[in-house]
Amino acid sequence: MRTLDWVIFAATIGFIVLYGLWKSRKTATVQGYLLADRSLPWYTVALSIMATQASAVTFISTTGQAYADGMRFIQFYFGLPIAMILVSAYFAPKFRGAGVYTAYEYLEKRFDAKTRALVSLIFLIQRGLAVGMILYAPAVVLTVILGWDDRLTTLLMGLVVIGYTVMGGIRAVAWTDFQQMLIMLIGLGAALVVAIVKLPAGIGFGDSLLLAASAGKLNAVTTNFDWNDRYNLLSGLVGGTFLALAYFGCDQSQVQRYLTGKDLQQSRVSLLFNAIAKIPMQFFILLTGAMVFSFYVFTAPPLTFHSGKVGALAGTAIEARHRQAVAAREAAARELLERRDAAHQAKFLAAHQAFDAVHKEATKAANDTNYVFMTFVTQHLPAGFVGLVIAVIFGAAMSASSGEINSLATVTMVDMYQRFIRPGAADAHYLWFSRLATVFWGLYAVASAQLARGLGSLVEAVNMLGSLFYGGLLGVFLLAFFFPRVNGTAAFVGVLAGEAAIFYTHSTGQVGFLWYNVIGCGVVVLTGCLLSIAGRSASNSRQP
Amino acid sequence: MTPQQEPPPFLGTWARVYWGVVLYLAAVIGVLMLFTASFRL
Repeated sequence: MRTLDWVIFAATIGFIVLYGLWKSRKTATVQGYLLADRSLPWYTVALSIMATQASAVTFISTTGQAYADGMRFIQFYFGLPIAMILVSAYFAPKFRGAGVYTAYEYLEKRFDAKTRALVSLIFLIQRGLAVGMILYAPAVVLTVILGWDDRLTTLLMGLVVIGYTVMGGIRAVAWTDFQQMLIMLIGLGAALVVAIVKLPAGIGFGDSLLLAASAGKLNAVTTNFDWNDRYNLLSGLVGGTFLALAYFGCDQSQVQRYLTGKDLQQSRVSLLFNAIAKIPMQFFILLTGAMVFSFYVFTAPPLTFHSGKVGALAGTAIEARHRQAVAAREAAARELLERRDAAHQAKFLAAHQAFDAVHKEATKAANDTNYVFMTFVTQHLPAGFVGLVIAVIFGAAMSASSGEINSLATVTMVDMYQRFIRPGAADAHYLWFSRLATVFWGLYAVASAQLARGLGSLVEAVNMLGSLFYGGLLGVFLLAFFFPRVNGTAAFVGVLAGEAAIFYTHSTGQVGFLWYNVIGCGVVVLTGCLLSIAGRSASNSRQP
Repeated sequence: MTPQQEPPPFLGTWARVYWGVVLYLAAVIGVLMLFTASFRL
């Protein structure tokens, strides 16, 4: 990085953190620390929801995924608008009406303490595992691309996040999220513009789109259905709805966001904003990846984007074949743009497939998807923009992990400490414990970040991890909201049965992970209902 | 009026919001399919 990049990077991160701390300077109560006194405007809540979900993984991995696999990942988000409407109509008013701090607190009001404790524990395990991954995602990439030490990077990011989250609580988290989301959009826009502007003379945006489409990179909708296919129209609409419903309706990191709204309508507007804005935003991110693909048709891409592995391949036969494949693909691309017919489109696709075969041989099928975007940024963006994009990556990692750390601390304090360990203490004591829990989860995130090593596409890893647990969480909340005759024990056993069903399905390896949410949720609801009916029958038969 | 019965912030009734999201999704999927198909020579 050049001096200008360092200045822009430091100024951007410094401004975001200081602004968040300034906005949260009056936080002095538990309600202020955990729920921002339920005072935030809808636009802050809306962008905070978006930023918490859009981690660094989103920018690094999603763009790389479009480069390698095309835009079909967008189908993952097709269920999100449906889920947001349902959360807005049913979940948000239930949580706000009950006056709770956490979603799991509601479960005790509806069922019993053991169901609340079980679901809180599932959340702590699941989010506890994911938070390290979220923090590690940018570190591993910056290590390979810029040679930064990954432990130092995660430690630096972790300490900054712990600092502002401990001091300002959710108000600092939400206001830093707001700024980070704006910076993210600017950084991505810059990357997209550069990918188009740096194309050779005479080749424009339309040409770039044609090349990406000819190589199958703009295949946004897949109507063919396969249970094991992760992204198709049906799995996106059904599996995606269940996953988004579980994430936005039952995950404390999101529930806590919309509980901070000034009133129910402000919370609802923030959710409905995300319902409309999320798909276009993901389209924009994936399109950036597809345009990076077209850019590398004319600018020779490295043999592998994992720069640490390039040295070992230098001067080998495969490097020579790679050069030939790159040249052949570029020639086919120029012919296609000149002739614009189906025959040349097929010829370009064949040339691309030949290139891809050499690339896969060179990488030994190891996934270098996560390094594509940052390689492009550091090697081709002008001075200043590199610093901005690195700040975007840091900002995204910080906004997502601060949200997770804050919600983990909230559940630890409200659902564990205050409920089971030390009920009835003073507000100041709980505020102190909330800060302590935040420090603990922050340090835990930094330490567990190292476990994320060796994973393939990080965005898929995060979503798959969520899908192992979300079906169970969603099922118990559906029982709570829509099945008034189901009791606590039935719900408790239902959650255990749902989780068992998900882990069994996962072990078979036959079903795409988006379906885990549907299966888990279905088993919880069915088990809960059947046990309640059986319980009532037994009770009736005992009556004289 | 309980919170659950409150009207949505847009479009007046929840039925209209549900139809709105169905139309929005249909439009998004349709546009994306057209977008992909428009580059098939």
